[in-house]
Amino acid sequence: MTGTGPRPETRRFEVAESAAPAPATEPLFTLEDLSVSYGGFLAVGGVSMDIRPNEITAFIGPSGCGKTTLLRCLNRMNDLIESARVEGSVRYHGVDLYGPRIDPVEVRRRIGMVFQKANPFPKTIYENIAFGPRVAGYRGDLDDLVEESLTRAALWDEVKGKLDEFAPALSGGQQQRLCIARAIATSPDVVLMDEPCSALDPIATLKIEELMMQLKEDYTIVIVTHNMQQAARVSDRTAFFTVDVKDEGARTGRLVEFDDTGVIFTSPREQSTEDYITGRFG
Amino acid sequence: MRHPRDDTRHHFDEALDAILRGTVELGALVHENLHRTTEALLENELDLARQALEADDEIDARYVALEHRVFEVMARQQPVAGDLRFLVAMTRVLYEIERSGDLAVNAAKGLIRREGYVLPADIHSLLARMSREAAQLFREGLDALADLDGAASPRIEAADDVVDDLVGDLYTAIAQSSGELGFDIAVELSRVGRYMERIADHAVNIAEHVTFIVTGSFPEDGTVASKDED
Repeated sequence: MTGTGPRPETRRFEVAESAAPAPATEPLFTLEDLSVSYGGFLAVGGVSMDIRPNEITAFIGPSGCGKTTLLRCLNRMNDLIESARVEGSVRYHGVDLYGPRIDPVEVRRRIGMVFQKANPFPKTIYENIAFGPRVAGYRGDLDDLVEESLTRAALWDEVKGKLDEFAPALSGGQQQRLCIARAIATSPDVVLMDEPCSALDPIATLKIEELMMQLKEDYTIVIVTHNMQQAARVSDRTAFFTVDVKDEGARTGRLVEFDDTGVIFTSPREQSTEDYITGRFG
Repeated sequence: MRHPRDDTRHHFDEALDAILRGTVELGALVHENLHRTTEALLENELDLARQALEADDEIDARYVALEHRVFEVMARQQPVAGDLRFLVAMTRVLYEIERSGDLAVNAAKGLIRREGYVLPADIHSLLARMSREAAQLFREGLDALADLDGAASPRIEAADDVVDDLVGDLYTAIAQSSGELGFDIAVELSRVGRYMERIADHAVNIAEHVTFIVTGSFPEDGTVASKDED
């Protein structure tokens, strides 16, 4: 008989593994009543939550719920949008990320980002990794840094013989792993990922998911995904956002529920969470 | 778990409804066979006992088909939350129903094996009450399932105590009459008591699985439904 069925002990149906108390951890990010507006329109409002270190936190929810907007608050990418206004607070290691003496460039070095569409520089594979650190005045061995970054991004074996090849010639999945390598070359604490797999085929997607599970040992990951099964597979905790539509058609996102992923996908507290994750969009 | 009707997962909702309906129907067939067996025992009707055995073939076939269907829907629809709880619970409910069917048939087989037996009045009366209570409890478990009534299990668990008491009374009566009955019949009737007790336990389990579907927790300690073969 092929395949392995569950052992008798595991057939017992546990309500949720998170029934065991979570170890007490200092949060890495603390969001308090965070709201973001663009040009006077409230995109997402009143979000309070914490993000724990060395975990994968997933943001899920329908289009327009503000999950990407919120993600971009975590490394001040919204600064680049002139009409954007952030209220409330984001604390990182207890420090107000939007404080007057905070350097947003340094923020983005420590809190890196990977985007939906892989965006390698139009340079060689080597230069994609080396460029940023070199510009930032990296004093160590760049060859070592390139190798280590590519190894950590599970790409080294595939590209080690062709580091001087043009990066955009790589496959979509490899490009995305290159972008991850590039992000971690600056030794960040956090890697933010905005739908990193939505342009990739299932195999490339699963490779990146496996990579995320390894990376969380050294980094904290926050991922926005519209793929609920992905959130269920990889994340430790999942935040569900919804969008409220006002009479005039204004759409504002808000946080509905945030809990251990096991709980969200077995017994969510809110009916709207249940409706969304079970695909009953009404 | 019950969702307002909308179009986004119409086929999935229909599949879930069909599984629930099919399982309740399977339970009804077992309930019917339980009556058949009880009557066979009380009236010493060997033909009725044989009918019960035949009826069990249909029950087994439907059980296998429903199990397959649940498994297929799980594989294809990626259920989560309430839908997942429902499907996982249904695999267990199907097992509880199928086992109950087997137990009812075991009682009929015993009668056939002994080529019938004549019961003393007190034992006849106890057997009648015990079987009636067990069948009623099983019916209530099925009703809780059909209505997805998450609050039914404490009531059903309490009624199970009545069956347990009657089984105890039956054992006492058998012990007292064992000389009159003969060893083989005494043993057989004790087994019938055991089967009825187990059927009532399965009814309690069904109700607990329904509580799990609706609330996400089992009534007692959050693990598998409480009544187990021992």
